[in-house]
Amino acid sequence: MRAFILAGGFATRLWPLTEKRAKPLLPLAGKPLISYIVEGLPRSIPVTVSTNAIFAHGFTEWRATIDHESIDIVIEQSKRDDQKLGALGALAQWVDQSHINEDILLLTGDNYFGFDLQSFIEAARKDTALLAAHDIGDLDRARSFGTVLLNEDRQTIRAFQEKPRSPESTLVSTGCSLLPASLLPVLQEYATHHPDNVGGIFEELLKRGKTIDCFISDALWFDIGSFEAYLAATRALIGHRTIDEGDIRCDRTRCNGSVVLGKGSSVTNSTLTDTVLFDRCSVEDCVLTDCVIDADCVLKGIDLTGKMLRAGTRLTRK
Amino acid sequence: MRLKALTILWLLSDALLFAGAYVLAYFLRVGFLLSTDFPFNKYLLATVIVTPVWIIILMMNRAYHPLRNQRTAANAATMIFAALVATALFSLTYYFQYTKFFSRLLLVLAFVLSTLITWLWHILYQEVLRAWLRRDPPTYPTLIVGITRESRALIETLQRHRNPLKPVAILDGRGGAEKEIAGIPMLGRLHKLEETLEELHITHLIQGSDLEQSLNLLSACRQRGITYMLLPSVLGIVERDERVESLEGWPVTVVTPEQLMR
Repeated sequence: MRAFILAGGFATRLWPLTEKRAKPLLPLAGKPLISYIVEGLPRSIPVTVSTNAIFAHGFTEWRATIDHESIDIVIEQSKRDDQKLGALGALAQWVDQSHINEDILLLTGDNYFGFDLQSFIEAARKDTALLAAHDIGDLDRARSFGTVLLNEDRQTIRAFQEKPRSPESTLVSTGCSLLPASLLPVLQEYATHHPDNVGGIFEELLKRGKTIDCFISDALWFDIGSFEAYLAATRALIGHRTIDEGDIRCDRTRCNGSVVLGKGSSVTNSTLTDTVLFDRCSVEDCVLTDCVIDADCVLKGIDLTGKMLRAGTRLTRK
Repeated sequence: MRLKALTILWLLSDALLFAGAYVLAYFLRVGFLLSTDFPFNKYLLATVIVTPVWIIILMMNRAYHPLRNQRTAANAATMIFAALVATALFSLTYYFQYTKFFSRLLLVLAFVLSTLITWLWHILYQEVLRAWLRRDPPTYPTLIVGITRESRALIETLQRHRNPLKPVAILDGRGGAEKEIAGIPMLGRLHKLEETLEELHITHLIQGSDLEQSLNLLSACRQRGITYMLLPSVLGIVERDERVESLEGWPVTVVTPEQLMR
């Protein structure tokens, strides 16, 4: 089996946090999102990360920090959206060029999977595709996701609905799936016409009468596609506490809710509520609520609510 | 460099025209034969003394700012005000030097001629200035952020009036189907900000939407020394009744709805 992590998006909705880093490299509660995925995989499975030319350097640096036997970075030579192969196109190209003839564990790099990936792999049946679905537990919330409808056996998938107005299921499809080697020809054929539609491959399999098993989990799962999702994931992972990543100077400061203080940051005479500071930030006399402050920002005498600040921002009241 | 040379040329030509208007007023009033009762050299000396003061008044009122539209009523008012002050200063200067007064009609003529001639020249020179400042590579390559009806109208106005701020690219927080607006290419979403600022050597950024990103746009501008401008429509102000004032030293944007003023 091989693991293939999709990390080639330009992550425009999370700008400016993704101005200089790919979404899977966003630090989440102290470490890059993609590290959670790789650390959850059995060490014997070779991992391939597919990214684009803009973010390639970041992934190369990240690889050096990870203790895993085999991580390969595949770089799609695109610097713009319109040059992209598409996620499925990149996967098909990799399968073709690397002569892959094994089962593929397909993972989207911007997802946080709280369930055990080993259990997911063990749940796979021979020559049957497997998709992980998260039980979101609320039909209203399911409206914002792609939902999964099951057959009566409660194990195999009957249909998919993309952001339905009236969801029939609280199961939402996650970015974790397993494609058996026997179905790779279908993947390659489908990718030729729909290079950007990862989810579409499963609909195609259903159309061709193939069985897709569903791995149901109610463990934490997040698709970090927006600022709100990023903050929600942070809150869920760290709860009501403050994470101090080291070398912090924190003086006369009150931290409420979920707070992350990035390495080398300095906070003085401030109140932080549900706020994430990336590395080397300096905050003095500020009230920050629901904010994500990228690295090397300097804030002095300012109150902010619900803001993402780009790296190196200086806001200092004179 | 281009702007500096054009501004120096503008100041010199203005000085000559202002003094020329006064000389013309003298000859129209006194006649084209030099008078011994009212010597031309004394008159000219007073004119030469007043000319730089007149230029300073215009400078203080930002009349030479390259982005200022010389055709507006506000600019006409500035020109009239400067000419009026210059006429008053001229009579005072003449009196202090020679303890004499002279024809009041001459002063009226000097005022009218100096106002009309210099204002017309400013309008003409503006065309020259704008043509030069917009020549490739433009002096002020401008990035527009956000496609809205307001920003679209602004782009079209800047293009139509050949404003020195030359839009060279558009970015939008949500992307957009359009490839260009009034000939200006739409380059994509905000993740292209850095490369756009770098590659196009942007000097001015005008934000027309995406209020939530104003801090980040401002941050990018500060880091690169780019002038940041914000359309009031981003704040929901589209009635053109806003103004920036100082409230106990704090700059505030003030909107006074018309019905309350009655």
